[in-house]
Amino acid sequence: MDTPRNQIERLGRQDNPFDPEFPDADLDRIASLAPFKDMDPESFPKKQPLRTILRSDTRIRRFKRGEIIVRAGDYGSSAFMIVGGDVRVVLPPGLPDRVLGRREPAKRSVFRAVAQLWANHRNPEVRTPEELGGGGGADPESGSRVFLQDVPRLIGKNKTVTLGPGEFFGEIAALSRMPRTATVLCDSDDAELLEIRWQGLRDILKNDAALRAHIDALYRKNTLSNALRSFPIFQHLDEEQLAQVAAQTQFGTYGEYDWSGDYKKLAKAGTNSVDKETVIAQEGDYPDGVIFIRSGFGRLSKRFGSGQRTLNYLGAGRWFGLREIAHNWRDPGAAVPFQFSLRVIGYTHTLFVPTRVMEQVVLPGAPNALLPGPLTTDELDADDDDPLKEQGGFAQRIGPELMEFLTGRRIFNGTATMVIDLARCTRCDDCVRACAATHDNNPRFLRQGPVSAGIQVAQSCMHCVDPVCMIGCPTGAIHRDASAGDVVINQATCIGCTSCANNCPYDAIRMVEARDTGGDFVTDKESRPVLKATKCDHCIDQYGGPACERACPHDALKRMDMTRLDTFATWLHR
Amino acid sequence: MMRTTVKRRLSGVLLLVAAVVALSWGHRQLAPVMRHLAYLSGWLLLAVCLFLTAYNARKKLPFLPLGNSRTWLQLHAYVGYFSLALFLAHTGWRWPTGAFEAALASLYLAVAASGVAGLVWSRIVPRRLTARGCEALYERIPAIRRKLAEDAEALALASVAATRSTAVADFYKLHLAGFLGRPMNGWRHLAEVRSPLMRIEARIADLDRFLAPEQRKVLGELAVMVAQKDGLDYQRSLQLSLKLWLFVHIPLTYSLLILTVLHVVLVFAFSGGAGAN
Repeated sequence: MDTPRNQIERLGRQDNPFDPEFPDADLDRIASLAPFKDMDPESFPKKQPLRTILRSDTRIRRFKRGEIIVRAGDYGSSAFMIVGGDVRVVLPPGLPDRVLGRREPAKRSVFRAVAQLWANHRNPEVRTPEELGGGGGADPESGSRVFLQDVPRLIGKNKTVTLGPGEFFGEIAALSRMPRTATVLCDSDDAELLEIRWQGLRDILKNDAALRAHIDALYRKNTLSNALRSFPIFQHLDEEQLAQVAAQTQFGTYGEYDWSGDYKKLAKAGTNSVDKETVIAQEGDYPDGVIFIRSGFGRLSKRFGSGQRTLNYLGAGRWFGLREIAHNWRDPGAAVPFQFSLRVIGYTHTLFVPTRVMEQVVLPGAPNALLPGPLTTDELDADDDDPLKEQGGFAQRIGPELMEFLTGRRIFNGTATMVIDLARCTRCDDCVRACAATHDNNPRFLRQGPVSAGIQVAQSCMHCVDPVCMIGCPTGAIHRDASAGDVVINQATCIGCTSCANNCPYDAIRMVEARDTGGDFVTDKESRPVLKATKCDHCIDQYGGPACERACPHDALKRMDMTRLDTFATWLHR
Repeated sequence: MMRTTVKRRLSGVLLLVAAVVALSWGHRQLAPVMRHLAYLSGWLLLAVCLFLTAYNARKKLPFLPLGNSRTWLQLHAYVGYFSLALFLAHTGWRWPTGAFEAALASLYLAVAASGVAGLVWSRIVPRRLTARGCEALYERIPAIRRKLAEDAEALALASVAATRSTAVADFYKLHLAGFLGRPMNGWRHLAEVRSPLMRIEARIADLDRFLAPEQRKVLGELAVMVAQKDGLDYQRSLQLSLKLWLFVHIPLTYSLLILTVLHVVLVFAFSGGAGAN
């Protein structure tokens, strides 16, 4: 019997391998290399053995001398293992964007933009045959290759590190859903690299402790000094001092990698999540070290009544406890304990530098401008009636109700959160119509959501700092755009598994039943509808930025980077 | 420090005043020397009206980089105010004598009045909606109301068996079923009149005194539903008013444009070749 036009094969993870034409010979060769050959096959589940992971989540890539493999600042979804040849890691501050060939995300042509006036489909959620049929491995980082000529001159005074066969790089960005921290160039005439999608790397690390330890050791060896150097308080140290600090630095990992499920349970139960969060540092305790946030978020709170009042949330690049330790170092006779508590929200990586190291190595030579001022008597004697006063500035301007709301609901995660000032919003839905007009007549958000102090956070993708929606995606269909950093979905490789929609803590991803260009619902062989995940793409291919924000006549809707509370406070009091 | 909104409004008002003063000065200067000054002011007024109408076109083209709707609305409002001065200059501060011109002038004033009223209303209503709570998407209000009515009816019916009394069910049927079943008090909500809800609440309080504890519990739940339904009615009424005013302003605008084109044709047809010398 002929297959109906609108019936297709349902796609699975194995149907979208990273390299659809991965030769068996290459697979055998890779499996025979360290560290894979040393892995215990028994430690992998039967339904997903190591060989299956390697087949579906890796591919071999070859680079020529001077070719850029990854660029600092790009969002990457994969790590690399060097199979043959050498690569050179350019350490921060790195190369300028112009040299790196960085480009803006491709926009529609003017004609295609105007054509939306008449070319949008009348039926909702229409997909082209290419979007329905699966397009092989999603490669968000692909694009025209960039070669650097005269590498020594371009690198100039930048420090570099050379890595050789068997070494890994790019795993931090791939696993922490953070931008790449360094540019890596090919340093051989011909280098062969094994690129591993983060899903595969996660599965291998889950089942092989040796590789986990190996990657930690590599991080300490290659990256830690630079990670420390990115914090101002370490910038005055020489190499030897920095090595001393790095040797004493402890890694901390708190919370659940996939924190969305826990959060949803807490939110559903209406429980005050502060009580459930792991305490990283406790108010009133001896300050035994400074905690630097590497990725994720921590909640800064202070005892208030019989609870905790949120004062701020600390993201990557922020620190906790430095002020107390500097105070005690200046005046050991009037030592103070931690003034606040730091709790993990979601999933947080930290670097912990002990007080002894801070006092002996870091603080003595630190310029005054980098040292936080001593705690004043007023601050130390402040009663608990308004801890926000101590924070001053934007925390006070935002107010306690909104601060609790933003933290409790984990809105801080958004870099393009749709906030609506309900005191200005006339509920005209111009934003929804503009969104639909720019997305083939399909609005990609819902103008509803939680409200606090007259501010609504709409159900729209926030393009999170830590996009947990990406965790479960088996094909990498949901990924970050390499240059803009927006979280987007490749419709061709989305298999409709609903993993991202279930994982999104903010209900910003919707599963829809796809139609073909004739308007018929597409089904699989069992006549079940074919689902596709949809969400806001931040109008990444449209002119002028997000259509929703531009369409709001009353300045009520804003796409806000919630990691910048100062901007939010200014907008609130505009 | 002055807020950006205040700064923006102040700048807008100052610019508007400057433009009106410049218009007035220019008109006085040109009036003695230009015989057909009305042609110039007429064409200018038409251009301004076309610009004001272009805002609606901008809304239909969200995918083009034509500027923020927020900026367009600001311009729309201030240029709209300016058009009033231009209109007065064009008519020479006299009410037209002909029926057609009178109709045209009336239509212009109706468009202007509906625009100003809509702007003021769209500044007032969002605050009221937010302060009242019960936030709901307009399109979803009927479904929410229906669910509320069904839940209330089920609760009242269940109370008969649970409390072995029909007191609450009878009260529901007599005083609440009609209220919960359809939108109510639309105009009163617009005018912020709360007496209908207070009347129902008074009846509930009155009945409450005579009920057993388990009946009181049911009545209490019904009272919460009544308050929610009233909130939904409030949302519906005010949100509808915000949508409806555009259905006045926009058709009037297009009618005005059509009459304006006719006006231009008539003027040139009967001007005997007069031009703006």
